[in-house]
Amino acid sequence: MQLEKVLTAGIGALNLRDIDVYRAQGGYAQLERAIKEFEPSQLIDIVSKSGLRGRGGAGFPTGRKWQFLPNDGRTRYMVCNCDEAEPGTFKDHMLLEETPHQVIEGILMGTYAIGSNHAFMYIRGEFLRGYHIFRAALEQARAAGLIGKNLFGTDYSVELTIHRGAGAYICGEETALLNSLEGKRGEPRLKPPFPAINGLYGEPTVVNNVETLGYLPHILRRGAEWFASVGTPKSTGYKIVSVSGHVQKPGNYEIPLGMPIRTLIDDVAGGLRPGRKFMAIQPGGGSSACLFEEHLDLGYDYEALAGAGTMLGSGAAVVFDDTTDFVRAAHSLVRFFAHESCGQCTPCREGGHWLELTLERMLHGHGIESDVDMLVKVSHQMTGLNLCPLGDSIEPFLASVVGRFPDQFYAYVRPKQAPVAV
Amino acid sequence: MIDKGDVGGDGGVGVDGGADFAAVLERVRAECLRLISQYPDSRSALLPILHEFQNELGWVSPEAMAACAEMLGLPMSIVESTASFYTLFFKRPVGKYMLQPCRGVACIVSGAESAMAHFRERLGVQHMQTTADGVFSYEEVECLAACDRPPCMQVNLEFVYDLTPEKIDAMVDAMRAGTYDVPPRPQTAKPGRDWEVASESGRKALGARGVSNPNAPGGIGDASGLRMLERLERDPEPVRVRPTRERLVVDGAAVESELTSR
Repeated sequence: MQLEKVLTAGIGALNLRDIDVYRAQGGYAQLERAIKEFEPSQLIDIVSKSGLRGRGGAGFPTGRKWQFLPNDGRTRYMVCNCDEAEPGTFKDHMLLEETPHQVIEGILMGTYAIGSNHAFMYIRGEFLRGYHIFRAALEQARAAGLIGKNLFGTDYSVELTIHRGAGAYICGEETALLNSLEGKRGEPRLKPPFPAINGLYGEPTVVNNVETLGYLPHILRRGAEWFASVGTPKSTGYKIVSVSGHVQKPGNYEIPLGMPIRTLIDDVAGGLRPGRKFMAIQPGGGSSACLFEEHLDLGYDYEALAGAGTMLGSGAAVVFDDTTDFVRAAHSLVRFFAHESCGQCTPCREGGHWLELTLERMLHGHGIESDVDMLVKVSHQMTGLNLCPLGDSIEPFLASVVGRFPDQFYAYVRPKQAPVAV
Repeated sequence: MIDKGDVGGDGGVGVDGGADFAAVLERVRAECLRLISQYPDSRSALLPILHEFQNELGWVSPEAMAACAEMLGLPMSIVESTASFYTLFFKRPVGKYMLQPCRGVACIVSGAESAMAHFRERLGVQHMQTTADGVFSYEEVECLAACDRPPCMQVNLEFVYDLTPEKIDAMVDAMRAGTYDVPPRPQTAKPGRDWEVASESGRKALGARGVSNPNAPGGIGDASGLRMLERLERDPEPVRVRPTRERLVVDGAAVESELTSR
């Protein structure tokens, strides 16, 4: 199936890590145009009109996020969030390593648009190779005069600082990321105040995902109308979907939003392996609820997925076929959230650990029948009681697969265990 | 505070002495100052500076944290607290090769468990342990964002994809022979068996997860609570608590006399 490539254009064919190759493809031309020909407020209008929504997980309209910044003359900061760790997501990893200049151009354009002069690139600690590639690209850009004082002969100056994380999923949450950037433990802050009012060093700050910022040069080049014409009225444009699990061709695919999930699995990702039967798809990363056979004709966009009780999230589609042991899959995800809980809020810290132990007990053959109900109850009781959404992230997957495949879970607790002799 | 004394559980500790650390400090100082200069607030350089020290030492030693605290004008407790939050900072010496297979959901449904079992068997280690020769440290980590080629892993933070038992054997052999194409980590101190007693392996020691004997106190199969429940069902009278250390009160009556009589 032929898909139009926007952000992913040239990946695999060209060495886009080289600034000359990137410029030959029209790279940095839009940044020059933006700074020379547009006022920041005009750029915000263009992005608002395009309907671009945050590609990191929350799907918040980018233009509106930028408009929240108060006009009180305080220093503003732009932070690019490349702390990609949502289970199943690997798109930012690819963009960082394959098209670092596109990421830099997007960051600088966003920085200019929000009226800031200092941007930070927060890279997940595990992406060591990506960090070195990005650092080399940044030096090339600096040597080419794209970062520093008086860009393109204007009076606009900008600095871009790379900050490497050190292994903490929670730092992908924007306020935890800001704490980590300030040299603190990566614990989320109470909101409000939101980062737009009180962010990095207490100043107005915007935190945007790599993919979100990457689309900016393309929106400026081809126009807000072009972007808004793709996808559905409320979910406009393209989205990189990381398809993994039991498909024949797992990988990152850039699709127009609203594509039927069936098309995504069968035509884009090569379908399931011969003889296998589709069981479930987790459409938006580890925090999203599973969809099943009857949902396959839904469009892959923010509204349709929300309507089905799940979410698009970071765009990580994990496909499960009939060889899947959902108890083990649930154990993996619950263990992930238990491990990555920062420990500030009791329901998340204790609940996640408790659920992990319960599932582990079931896998060891010591489960009792009431454990299955308890999994769903405890995960539900954890929600809505925490500073950040991490504690709410266990319930969707667990409840959806326990609800759909209860036999798989009861198989681990039957026959009823006699007390272990001491 | 990390006690340097129990770092090498099975013998001598070759921790970088004062003179060696001074040389390390000399090597990283210029880069640390550059790192500090690029932030509006110097504390932001804490993570990058810890990375610098770990690149040199192979771990974040107490001296490194103290040097970091001094450079940034922070209390030692702040540096330790922050370093302890992040799993990529090793507060104890680890092996020359850090093997980190992914246990994310996409890898788990694609054969990661057998790959991890092969690692554990081949190396004779469990999660968060180092081999006795100090060459390999082994940690099963969360999703590494390479789900299109499962099962995947990182070796000293370099990706390895599509793991098979044969690939694992070849990798381990090449590392032992010194021919593997990912360079070994610096190792300035002899690692102990467990490098992180406080968190996961600590829980394991309490019997909560993966213990070999589930009937041990606190283990998964420990039925002492269940037996108490059964006894309560037989005899709903309040259970007489036998105090062991101090004075206890059961049903409003002091049972000190019982304690002293035993």
